[in-house]
Amino acid sequence: MKTLLIAEYRDGKLLGSYQELMGFADQLGAECAMFIVGTSEELPDYSGKLYLADVEKYAEYSPAVHKKLILEVVKNEQPDMIVFSHSSYGWDLAPRIAYSLQTAQISEVVDVKGGELVVPVCNSKMRRTIRVKSEQCVVTLQAGAFNPPDDGTGTPQPVNIDTDAQGRISFLGYEEVEPGGVDLGKAEIIVSAGRGIGKPENVEIVADLAQKLGGEYGASRPVVDSEWVDHNRQVGTTGQTVSPKLYVACGISGAIQHLAGMKKSEFVVAINTDRDAPIGEVADVLVVADLKEFIPVLTEKL
Amino acid sequence: MKILVCIKQVPDMESKFKIDGNGTWYDTNDLAWRMNEYDEYGVEQAVQLKEQMGDSDLTVLCIGSAQVKETMKKALAMGCDRGAHIEDDAADSHDPFEIGSIIAEYARDKEFDVIFTGMQSQDRGSGQVGILVAEMLDIPGVSTVVDFSYDDGTINVKRELEGGIKALVKLNTPALFTCQLGINTPRYPTLPNIMKAKRKELLTIPSSDLLKVACVQETSAIFFPEKKGGGLVLEGDSGDVADQLIEILKDKTAVLA
Amino acid sequence: MKFELTEEQNLIRDMVRSFAETELAPSTQSRDEEEHFDRELMFDKLAELGLTGIIFPEEYDGAGADYISYAIALEELSRVCASTGVTLAAHLSLAANPIYLFGTEEQKQKYLIPLALGEKMGAFGLTEPSAGSDAGSTKMSAVRDGDEWILNGTKIFISNGGEAEVYVVFARTDKEAEKHHGISGFIVEKDTPGFSFGNKEKKMGIRSSPTRELVFENCRIPAENILGNEGQGFKIAMETLDGGRIAVASQAVGIAQGALDEAVKYAKERKQFDTCITRFQGVQFQLADMATQINAARFLVYNAAYRASAGLSYSLESAMAKLMASETAMKVTTQAVQILGGYGYTREFPVERMMRDAKITEIYMGTSEIQRVVIGSTLIK
Repeated sequence: MKTLLIAEYRDGKLLGSYQELMGFADQLGAECAMFIVGTSEELPDYSGKLYLADVEKYAEYSPAVHKKLILEVVKNEQPDMIVFSHSSYGWDLAPRIAYSLQTAQISEVVDVKGGELVVPVCNSKMRRTIRVKSEQCVVTLQAGAFNPPDDGTGTPQPVNIDTDAQGRISFLGYEEVEPGGVDLGKAEIIVSAGRGIGKPENVEIVADLAQKLGGEYGASRPVVDSEWVDHNRQVGTTGQTVSPKLYVACGISGAIQHLAGMKKSEFVVAINTDRDAPIGEVADVLVVADLKEFIPVLTEKL
Repeated sequence: MKILVCIKQVPDMESKFKIDGNGTWYDTNDLAWRMNEYDEYGVEQAVQLKEQMGDSDLTVLCIGSAQVKETMKKALAMGCDRGAHIEDDAADSHDPFEIGSIIAEYARDKEFDVIFTGMQSQDRGSGQVGILVAEMLDIPGVSTVVDFSYDDGTINVKRELEGGIKALVKLNTPALFTCQLGINTPRYPTLPNIMKAKRKELLTIPSSDLLKVACVQETSAIFFPEKKGGGLVLEGDSGDVADQLIEILKDKTAVLA
Repeated sequence: MKFELTEEQNLIRDMVRSFAETELAPSTQSRDEEEHFDRELMFDKLAELGLTGIIFPEEYDGAGADYISYAIALEELSRVCASTGVTLAAHLSLAANPIYLFGTEEQKQKYLIPLALGEKMGAFGLTEPSAGSDAGSTKMSAVRDGDEWILNGTKIFISNGGEAEVYVVFARTDKEAEKHHGISGFIVEKDTPGFSFGNKEKKMGIRSSPTRELVFENCRIPAENILGNEGQGFKIAMETLDGGRIAVASQAVGIAQGALDEAVKYAKERKQFDTCITRFQGVQFQLADMATQINAARFLVYNAAYRASAGLSYSLESAMAKLMASETAMKVTTQAVQILGGYGYTREFPVERMMRDAKITEIYMGTSEIQRVVIGSTLIK
């Protein structure tokens, strides 16, 4: 089996997620080639064949052009599988490749089971395995689902690749988030509030616990979108990725986007009324309780 | 201006799911149904664009059994002008490629200037259909849009990327956009609009008229994930549980002395 | 006979529920605590949604929906915030509706349209210190003076009092006539000289709905502001109350449903801690009875509402619906407090508020005793 791994370059930097793609290929025991629209200044830590298109020339986001470049590589390599990260870059580009090749695309793969790929269903409440009916296929991998390979180091042999394709979409640049005052990335203890807190006043209960533990408080996206907590405290893919020694998830059901932002935490405590909530999957301790009752008692006892 | 918005009816994600008899999908009985959250953003954005343009025609499209018409009525009550119900009692069994083809086939000769979809469905979650439709129709498509503005044929959007940054993107109509949480706050359908919705055209088209491709993938099994081993579940009296938890934290983490 | 809501009615329920849960719920408790009427939230937003004119035809800028839709909307609002429910009920059933039913075309243009659009809020003044449900004993007087009526007297316990811009009030225009015949209805605008308000009542429940006394001291209003014919007031008041009873009954069903939902939620959370199965089965039986009674009340409301929309007589049905729904609300909210135990008695949980809110539904728009009089007298007529 042969895979083509699509690495990503964003905002002037090579993203480390290509390592997860390599881990996935390893797990399948597949050969791989890699493709990136990037720069020779910063190459992936990888010893195989790398197709390199110049980001100066082809921009970081230009789907029609990147599609053409990838199809060119696919023609050369004839991979069985084209592998992307399930990221804003990957999920945007993958269907275009799949359509051009008239193949299946399997989105957000979390596991490989009996040779079939496993993807989440219904906010990760369920999983499904997929049978592909086309010869090739395109897949996107959920962030964090596959570990980097143990021995992936090396220096790639870049092969430059070009196209004269033109796109109809102009990429104008980035808008950075205004820098916030809180760097959750450095916090050793984080107590986060989720939708389960019910109303803005209950943020205080969570913040009090954080203070008593000597940590920071954070929040999941719904709480931030309701403007109950400032955006710079958001944990998850569109907020901050954190890895504290202790993470306490209060009333957080555990949407994938949130889990991706906190699952590297060393020790996770979840407080939730729903014992089946997906957060339970990553929790070391799940307290089945109403946070409004439980947290004040806990805070008092600390 | 001609606008199309594609929506899907999905179960309320808070539902207690069961697996169906074939073991390939969830059991669709006894579930509460609603509009896919991301599609609500699509409908709101489409209605906002329609209001901005004045002279325009907004179609809402939905694939599914007769039951989806209730969700379509909501879209009509939010401000869509007409509905295209693609009737298909086995919509769940179609893969994204088939669903995309049905929509593209419907849209092909209708010269829509702007098409909106949600960035993904809450149940299947493939996140492919919108971009596939754009490719099939050979129009530019942009995914994960969190900000949209139209001015005289030119559209400026922001795409949401990871880590809180946004990409600024510009393109011309005709074009397709997949909407992400944060792009807008969907309006409540007002009473007068709910009443008017029943007088709006809601055309039913059998999906067999539009489905001209075969699927490229199928679900072999659906199942519940295994619980991570080792996770301890505590429950009972708050005071007792708090004591137990404090002991565990002292024992297992370095943060509580 | 069809026991199924229409697509529109379902959409209305979804919309109002989602509005109530998203917009009203976060402040219900604090508004109750602070006895705060938030007009923007509790009225202006209802107007934006088209709820303030829900049952009136489109020609008067209403939504053209039926009474069942209205009952559903009131139920869903009251399920989350009974004070918002009564704000809408007093405005629509008691002020806008009599103008729609009995007003002249000019009055409809001038008053009904802005009321239906929610540009103006309405209130209804019937009750007096010495005349509660006995409208025939109205003491307030209206004396004709050229092109004007001069109003003197007071009205008490007026929902939306002081906040509303348009008041439908009743006064005696003929002291000589037999009790019921000498009363007439009037439309009075806020800020009319001689029209003032007493202090806000401090109430047990529906505390974020303002209730005030209306005081008329030589208040002069134009002659054309009489509602209906001179002497027709009693009939207008009684018909208005028939409609109002559907509204209060809907509110009561909503309060009861809200309490049941809280009790079920609590029981589900407690289930896993509760090793004592018999106790849990006891709770389950209680919940079953609560749900059954609520549904019975709801169908009585729908029946009365259906008759109102179909143009059939509905005083008997609305009295039955109001009696059943309000007593159910009181019973169910009390049981919900009991199920939640100590928590239920604290103001941290909403069921104690619901219990306080429920009580008024047995009192206003005719006490339970009056409803029994209405029902009983119809039976032995």
